[in-house]
Amino acid sequence: MKSFVCKLFLLAVLALLPSLAQAGDLITSKSFGEPNEIILTFAAPTSAAIATDINNYTVYEEPDPDIRLTIDTITLSADGKTAHLIFSEPLNTTETHVVAVMTHDKVSPFIFQVAKSYWGYLFSILISALLINNFVFTKYLGLCVFFGTSKRKDTAKGMGFTFTIVMVVSAIMSWFFYQYVMKPFHLNFLQIVVFIGLVSLTVQAVDTVLRKVNPALFQSFGVYLVLVIANCVIIAVPLILADNEYNFLETLMLSLGAGSGFLLALYLMSSVRERMEFAQIPKTFEGIPIAFIVAGQFALAFLGFSGLKIF
Amino acid sequence: MANDKSNMQLVANGILNENPIFRLVLSMCPAVGISTTVMNGIMLGLAVLFVQVFSSVTISLFKNKIHPRIRIPSYTLTIATWVTVIDLVMAAYMPGPYSQMGVFIKLIVAFAIITMRLEMFACKESVNASFWDGVGMGLGFMAGMMAIGLVRELLGLGTILGFEVLGGVRPLLFFVLPCAGFFVVGLMMAFFNYIEIRYRKLKQVAS
Amino acid sequence: MKDIMTIIIRLTVSCLMAGAVMGATFIITSDAKKQNKYKNEQKVSYGLLGYDVSKGIPAEVKLHELFRYVVTTGDELSVGYLVPTGHGEHGGFTFISISLDGSFIGQYPVDIDHASVRDESDRDQAILTALGKGKTIRYADQTVIATANDQRTAYLLSGKFPGFKTFIHVMLALEPDFTILGLEIMEHEEDPGLGAEIKEDYFKNQFIGKSFAAVKYLEVDKVPLPDDYRQALDGKISKEEVALVQQNYKDKNIYALTGATISSVSVTNGVKGITKKFAYRIGILDAVIQEQNIAVPF
Repeated sequence: MKSFVCKLFLLAVLALLPSLAQAGDLITSKSFGEPNEIILTFAAPTSAAIATDINNYTVYEEPDPDIRLTIDTITLSADGKTAHLIFSEPLNTTETHVVAVMTHDKVSPFIFQVAKSYWGYLFSILISALLINNFVFTKYLGLCVFFGTSKRKDTAKGMGFTFTIVMVVSAIMSWFFYQYVMKPFHLNFLQIVVFIGLVSLTVQAVDTVLRKVNPALFQSFGVYLVLVIANCVIIAVPLILADNEYNFLETLMLSLGAGSGFLLALYLMSSVRERMEFAQIPKTFEGIPIAFIVAGQFALAFLGFSGLKIF
Repeated sequence: MANDKSNMQLVANGILNENPIFRLVLSMCPAVGISTTVMNGIMLGLAVLFVQVFSSVTISLFKNKIHPRIRIPSYTLTIATWVTVIDLVMAAYMPGPYSQMGVFIKLIVAFAIITMRLEMFACKESVNASFWDGVGMGLGFMAGMMAIGLVRELLGLGTILGFEVLGGVRPLLFFVLPCAGFFVVGLMMAFFNYIEIRYRKLKQVAS
Repeated sequence: MKDIMTIIIRLTVSCLMAGAVMGATFIITSDAKKQNKYKNEQKVSYGLLGYDVSKGIPAEVKLHELFRYVVTTGDELSVGYLVPTGHGEHGGFTFISISLDGSFIGQYPVDIDHASVRDESDRDQAILTALGKGKTIRYADQTVIATANDQRTAYLLSGKFPGFKTFIHVMLALEPDFTILGLEIMEHEEDPGLGAEIKEDYFKNQFIGKSFAAVKYLEVDKVPLPDDYRQALDGKISKEEVALVQQNYKDKNIYALTGATISSVSVTNGVKGITKKFAYRIGILDAVIQEQNIAVPF
């Protein structure tokens, strides 16, 4: 148990301080610039002879250490602190790049990694699950509950919030179970049973806790808890995170994005459906058919988010 | 409640009167998500048919042994088991269609239609009746998926089951785009409503 | 209380039964799954080389598998290749370790047979035993070298790269001079009707015949695909005519798919990256094999 807590703590520290963990004292900041550029800032002014010598640098993508990227030119700013490494070809910025700089002593190189900001990556997972890959409008999951509970705004909000909470809790539990039980013991084929079991357990737990702690809240949200199990998003998220080998923070972001994406979809839909009550709808389209057409239009609109690149 | 319908009536009931997709409006996710071709409809339909029949029979067999208080967990466990079985089998023997289906085979476990049939039918009826009810529901689902797939594949890609029937013409690519699933399902439902309304009117006039 | 006991007992029994059913299915299907996957890969491989598995493969055609690893010794990184030695099913395997700048480090005979070399965990274990203590290895990729009468006829590379939605897995066939022989999309999750068209002949066959010099600077053009080229790519005209048209478009860029530029660009860049990296690596490996006089069947 203790080592487990330690691991968690380490994970949090690593995530919080990605720059401190690697950069050390020679380099204060490093980032990608133009498509074929890496920008380095040295802690102290460096002589141009060393800093602009191409032979002092070795740069490669982390998975391919044997393939060195060719540097065309290196320019050093006037104060001798910022170096711009221009490569002959555009860099693949989704990969972590490893840079080794030969220091003054010419013996051991100083090695560090250049990658996109980890926070940016986490944020992009959240936004991706919320908008770009919205589970309802672009992955077409959870539709039964979606059409069932999007008639009124109040219901939509209640369902959305309850769902988000259960989603986050069950995704985190599934992640622990997957990483520490199913993977080490090669029980991957039990995924479906285990995940659905954990979801049911979470629902039951939230039900019990809410009933005791806040009866008033339970009165308003309790009814939605039963519906959560019938929602395929809740089982799709653990399957996705197991497939992609997400870590703890990424799991948190994905589940939060999935939950709030569902809330957003429900809220948008219910706003339209409340208005539609006053509209003259052809008899053949009344009820569910027109709801599908509206959802289709939302899906078209959400298609506009696809291809959106954040960070 | 004893069941007085014949086996064939049970099957027909699943396909027509209580069609899971168009009548009960359940399990809509795959109907929108992967109904782009007829083949997908057949494959997922087969999987659902398998899970529905085996779960119905299992629950019906053990209906006296299941404690009423753990009814729902038992259903979930049964369904999850059979979904795992079909998932493993399809992944091993039909890798091509399986990869097309993506995560949807695994998601059969959350399909409301299966739990509903167990709760409404299999836990009260005989094994034989449950079997035929399961067959009916499975076939009904498959028929619904195939109907949507037919419309989308024909209009979107100009093919049926992968064979070109319109001479290479793709009338409306829109229909095969992912988001068109909503429109197709909505329009088809409206179409069935229209037929029903007309049918009722005709009947009234006749009487 | 008695109620709870019966519930627990029954739940346990049903869980055990469910577990037995799933476990049995898993055991039965897992071997079949591996075999079917291998068969499919073989079929695609031979297909890319221009052979039809169902009609039989000429006896002189042989495929040799190479596995590339990244080896870590302390802080030092190096590259290693598990290559077959000797001839046919009787030959063994050897692990050639090469430093990052391309010089030979060592050669370690690996005790593994041709059947279990395909299993990743068996292979890793055998290599670790051969290398000795203090080293960690990471599997990178697999290359197949095809020979006919002991002459290299083609390279088969498998690779993956990010597409529009998720990773696209491909298999690429190259001639010995790195001209592209064929491209096959193994797995993808692009949108049907748009990005999913990458697996259609009229897109993926555009890569055939592109020379290494052309591939290095291959780009995607957002202009409609000419009709005669499309006919040729879809194989609707006779073989001689196809060859003629292909010759015309040999040095042209790739024509983007309508409405799926991002997918088209990712495939093009992916193919470009795989080819360039491989050409660099096989050069180094060949030089080392020749310098050290290692007996390899390819």
